[in-house]
Amino acid sequence: MTRSASGATILAASVLAAFGVTLVNFAKGGNVDAQTALTFLVFAIAFGSVQLAVQTWAPRATPLLIGPIAALTAIGFIEVYRLDPVLGSLQRWWLLIAAGFAVLTLMLLAKSSTEIFRRYRNITLLVSMVLLLMPTLPTGWAFPLRGLELNGSRIWIVLDVGFTSLQFQPAEIAKLGLVIYMAAYLADHQRALREAHRQIGPFRFPEPRQLVPLLVTWGLSIVILISQRDLGASILLFAGFVLLLYAATGTTGYLALGGLLTAVAAVASYLAFDHVQRRVTAWLAPFENYQDEGYQIAQGIFALGTGSLTGSGPGLGRPDLIPNAATDFIFAAVGEELGFAGTVSVLALYTLVIAVGLGISFRSRDTFRKLLAAGLTFVFAVQTFLIIGGILRIVPLTGIPLPFMSYGGSALVGNMMLIAILLRISHEESA
Amino acid sequence: MNGPVRRLSIALFAGFFVLLGAVTWFQVIHADSLKADPRNPRPALSERGKERGLIVTIDGEVVAQSVEDPEDPRSFARLYPGGEAFAHVVGYNSFIVGDSALENAYAPELRSRRDLTISDLIAVMLGRDLRPQSLEITVDSDLQTAAYQALAGQTGAIVALDPSSGAILAAVSSPSFDPEALLGADAAEVWDALLADPASPLSDRATREIFAPGSSFKTVVTATALDTGDAGPETKFPDPVAFQLPGSTATISNANERVCNDGVSVTLLRAFVRSCNTIFADLSVRLGADDIGITAEAMGFNRDIPFPWFVPHAVFPVDELRNDPAALAQSGIGERDVRATPLHMAMVAASVANGGVTPTPFLVSRIFDADGKTVEQIETAALGRAMAPATASVLGQMMERVVTEGTGRLAAVPGVRVAGKTGTSQGPDGLPNPWFIGFAPVENPTIAIAVLIEGGGSVGDSASGGSVAAPIASELISLWMGVGP
Repeated sequence: MTRSASGATILAASVLAAFGVTLVNFAKGGNVDAQTALTFLVFAIAFGSVQLAVQTWAPRATPLLIGPIAALTAIGFIEVYRLDPVLGSLQRWWLLIAAGFAVLTLMLLAKSSTEIFRRYRNITLLVSMVLLLMPTLPTGWAFPLRGLELNGSRIWIVLDVGFTSLQFQPAEIAKLGLVIYMAAYLADHQRALREAHRQIGPFRFPEPRQLVPLLVTWGLSIVILISQRDLGASILLFAGFVLLLYAATGTTGYLALGGLLTAVAAVASYLAFDHVQRRVTAWLAPFENYQDEGYQIAQGIFALGTGSLTGSGPGLGRPDLIPNAATDFIFAAVGEELGFAGTVSVLALYTLVIAVGLGISFRSRDTFRKLLAAGLTFVFAVQTFLIIGGILRIVPLTGIPLPFMSYGGSALVGNMMLIAILLRISHEESA
Repeated sequence: MNGPVRRLSIALFAGFFVLLGAVTWFQVIHADSLKADPRNPRPALSERGKERGLIVTIDGEVVAQSVEDPEDPRSFARLYPGGEAFAHVVGYNSFIVGDSALENAYAPELRSRRDLTISDLIAVMLGRDLRPQSLEITVDSDLQTAAYQALAGQTGAIVALDPSSGAILAAVSSPSFDPEALLGADAAEVWDALLADPASPLSDRATREIFAPGSSFKTVVTATALDTGDAGPETKFPDPVAFQLPGSTATISNANERVCNDGVSVTLLRAFVRSCNTIFADLSVRLGADDIGITAEAMGFNRDIPFPWFVPHAVFPVDELRNDPAALAQSGIGERDVRATPLHMAMVAASVANGGVTPTPFLVSRIFDADGKTVEQIETAALGRAMAPATASVLGQMMERVVTEGTGRLAAVPGVRVAGKTGTSQGPDGLPNPWFIGFAPVENPTIAIAVLIEGGGSVGDSASGGSVAAPIASELISLWMGVGP
């Protein structure tokens, strides 16, 4: 693939988004209007500028990432716009902002390379922790930066900027910082972690002293779960760390211990929290609890079934019957209106992005960059699996956004930066 | 270090493979059952406001049509110009209370298949017509309207058939309802009120409710007797005041509690014309449940009738009656557990009119596309032979005597040879259910009819088939034959 091919996929994705928006307008009785042109322009500008930034500051990066990302964003955007045109136009603004952050990330890394993350890993950790805990700031105080609780989760911060106030989920950025810190820490302590172990049965277990980071991360996850009632971020953080720890050391005992700690935390949180119990009930028996806990999952499954092979067509189904469709259930909305064809395409695109991310890790010679690429890809993959698996009843629903497809500015910004870092690693490792 | 990452990659891809499997499970394997789940509102919602095909009577009267909604040019409103008279035949298509009758049975043809999906686009490119198709029904609009008016203020049903083809000329149930009232935003309240109405206007008494046929069932018993040769019109039977039920102290007597003829003997013809219970109880026991069952089943009892919707089985319980002559005697006069819809009793009359062959009833004669071109012409094969042609001919003459000199005199139409049989069964509430079944003209029948007035209608307790049902048959036959009153 060449640069022109990458440009062609961006063009195709922009046309796809604009075409989808037009079909939605047709279905509602409208016509080709400013929305079509605006959508095309925003997609072309956002992904075009990222592509230009890659050509300028990371010219040897893989050309295989931006195309699938643009396509996923386009498919998600069509459904967000279809569910609520107001959210759609907000999402367009967020796409421009997120692209700006990606360009900025690429530009800054061009000056210093990803080594800067390794050097300042402790500052990264500190910043991430502060970001993670920010939503616990009081909602009522006079300071213009406040915490906010929405839909039972305290994961928002509000920044008052005079005429308006901005809402943001800092965890979406903190996620990146934590992966960076983990990769840097593991790259530095890899040898000690790998060599100091005992063999117990089929598992190789680390020395107790080496377990401290694992337990600290576990503790942090539980703090997030309790203080913010954010099941998704909590699982994501811990799973990402355990997988990375295993990737760095090859010590199977970490996987076993990680699994055990997850199980303990899962049982304890089920016993302790109503909202976890409701999620489990909805997961195991959505149709038996159709009127309350199970309603969202049951509607999601009806949406998928009704969509069957080719879907109702954009704007012609009723994904609006699913509560919180634009954020939690965008995958089911795609299933209803674009059908099995749409959901399989989406799964294929995610698989492609994950394969490219892992490929970047495989090809990296530097341990830190290898672990960072793997860690970012794991977090991306686990997040995608958790939310789609939640809709398909493989796992309990966790209410985290589907990367690049769900409505939500913070997630879009965080994931665009994630892709920018992956692209930069890809550039640095291609001699 | 690539080793562990590779193993984790395999695990991740395995996870995504599971997602692919799950999405296949819901969107391919279980798609149909999820669409059909009553808790899934999507299929009904997607029909809302879409254009549907016409339903037109054989004489060109439109009884269901979609017109553009004046408030929303992309949406269609459904109109039922046939109103209450056609409500049980045409049905309704409501996004709130669902759909019924032909609107339900022919939904795949009547609905637009144009959903703007990729598969529709391909279908249009391949030259398939996705516009809604329309139905032509066999009902004669004048006869249907007159039949409904004839039942005005009464509870009951009328079914008229073309005896040779089985085409339904009229099928009405009273009281009825306004189908358009079930389409509006307040449909749920209208629906609840209709359900709460003790006269149950939503039930289709013509084809979906079964009643004891009473003496009109004697037509079936007589056909059996003539067909087996066990008795002819002139065969003499003893003429008691009451027939002693075998193995019981109970008796069956005639409607007027008197003997049928002279108290000594009576011919089958006279017993039929005067509708004497004593003789038919006796005759039924002599014939046996099996032989009567063969005739009844050939006419459509105890089995599925092919029809746009499910018709409840007409019942003549042969197995239970085989060794129970007392019950058989009661069943022979159409009481006890014998049941039939007015549709079934019209088929009994049609069998006699049609030379002994029972026609299969049908309601939709033609399906045509948006250009008026015929997509399917519907014809039905006869259900089967119920009696020999000679039997039908003799029985037809006996039925004509019922109208000329017997219990069915009020069914007579000047200048037309009408044949028929009355009946007055006992309803579950103790009130009489008067019946009249018949056909005309005898020499070349073009209409077979069954009239049921539930609970005696406006006459109430003292009503009989001859007094309340026969005049309605007379009125409708004269309309059909074009002889003005």
